[in-house]
Amino acid sequence: MHPDRAAHDPSPARAAARPGDGPEEGAWYPCSWPDKFTPVAQFLLQGGKVLAVTLTGDAVQAKNGSMVAYDGQMAFKKMSGGGEGLRGMVTRRITGEQLTVMEVKGQGTCYFADRAADISLVRLSGEKLHVEASNLLCTEAALRTGTTFTGVRGAAQGSGLFTTTVEGSGQAALISDGPAVVLRVGQGTPLQVDPGAYVAHTGDLRQSFQSGVSFRTFMGEGSGEAFQVRFEGDGLVYVQPSERNTLGGEI
Amino acid sequence: MPFHEINSKLVEARVVPGQRLFSQRGAMIAYRGEVSFTPNRASGQGGVMSMIGRRVAGEAAPLMTVEGNGTVMFGHGGHHIQVVELDGDTLCVEADRLLAFDGSLEQGTMFMGSQGGVMGMVRGQVTGQGLFTTTLKGRGSVAVMAHGGVLELPITPGRPVHVDPQAYVAHHGDVRNKLSTALGWRDMVGRGSGEAFQLELSGDGAVFVQASEEKL
Repeated sequence: MHPDRAAHDPSPARAAARPGDGPEEGAWYPCSWPDKFTPVAQFLLQGGKVLAVTLTGDAVQAKNGSMVAYDGQMAFKKMSGGGEGLRGMVTRRITGEQLTVMEVKGQGTCYFADRAADISLVRLSGEKLHVEASNLLCTEAALRTGTTFTGVRGAAQGSGLFTTTVEGSGQAALISDGPAVVLRVGQGTPLQVDPGAYVAHTGDLRQSFQSGVSFRTFMGEGSGEAFQVRFEGDGLVYVQPSERNTLGGEI
Repeated sequence: MPFHEINSKLVEARVVPGQRLFSQRGAMIAYRGEVSFTPNRASGQGGVMSMIGRRVAGEAAPLMTVEGNGTVMFGHGGHHIQVVELDGDTLCVEADRLLAFDGSLEQGTMFMGSQGGVMGMVRGQVTGQGLFTTTLKGRGSVAVMAHGGVLELPITPGRPVHVDPQAYVAHHGDVRNKLSTALGWRDMVGRGSGEAFQLELSGDGAVFVQASEEKL
């Protein structure tokens, strides 16, 4: 009754991705498989708001409670302190950049979603991604997470003085309220972003804080755009089409 | 097929004389032609007995009958709408998620305890679905509401699908569900992963999952 049922079924893709399943091993591939196959989680977006992650025995880190469905065998385990050990736990407590993540491990396909937020996939190859802890949905196990000091921007964003960093090679999934826009910052083309709409950034970027507070603001005639974050350098900035409640948005 | 999706949050239904539609009360957005809306005291089909049954079961969503000649647009609360085509099989859905459905479909109420006895009742309580759920059977289409996009996951024998109870929307086909728990000592000390309860659906059919853990 549903001809497109097969389109949603991830099983053919998974079967093809696993080595040794083909009838003639090596015949399908020009080079033979390495002796030790390191499984890599496959991230696939299903309609922009659901992330399907195919696991073959490996693990991913995901926001606590964001699983909506799975098939196969999965185990969920909460990782205290964002899975960064005791030091990370203490740092996160102190900085208020709480990240409640769980480790999902198993075989099969796991579907993640969070309050109908839009998901964007970011592929990292060695660079560093700065993201708000609340905007991080899922990361590959090969990626390391940590915390850094953001300076005064964090205070204006209403998200604290610290931000989460993701480093390494692999894929990460970000969530945003509405589909995120990726804006490029190049040499000579700086970008100003509303702190409430900022989601994440990668690349070699310097950020500074600028304010448009004038005497009008104090007269109660503010435009609601009192503060901006200015990005300079070379990189990408992810912006969401919605604004969090910030101090700057009200004055 | 009477439902036509205008966008993800709005459906248009064609009403022709002699064919009725049922919809959630107040879900009409606009209409063309000569269409009448009558509140349905029995909140669905069947006689007085099924009306009492639904009242008792708490599955009595206020419905209205849509009759006449024209087209009607339905939408509610900005929720995402999924149109499900039924071809003789049964759709199980919560009454408050039903936006509109064909009058030709046979509406009923299913007792959760009938699948799995006491555990079925426990499941209904844990998942917030209550002890009863609405079933629709026959040939026709149903418009179901969900928060965020809807994902249809196929269920085939030997490949059960586990679903977060809060993200579960509806299922159809020959599907058995049971509550599976993954409670460990971590949950007891407040260190749970937030995935302690799951609905395990097995059999042959499909389950609809929403991209959110929010109830309507």
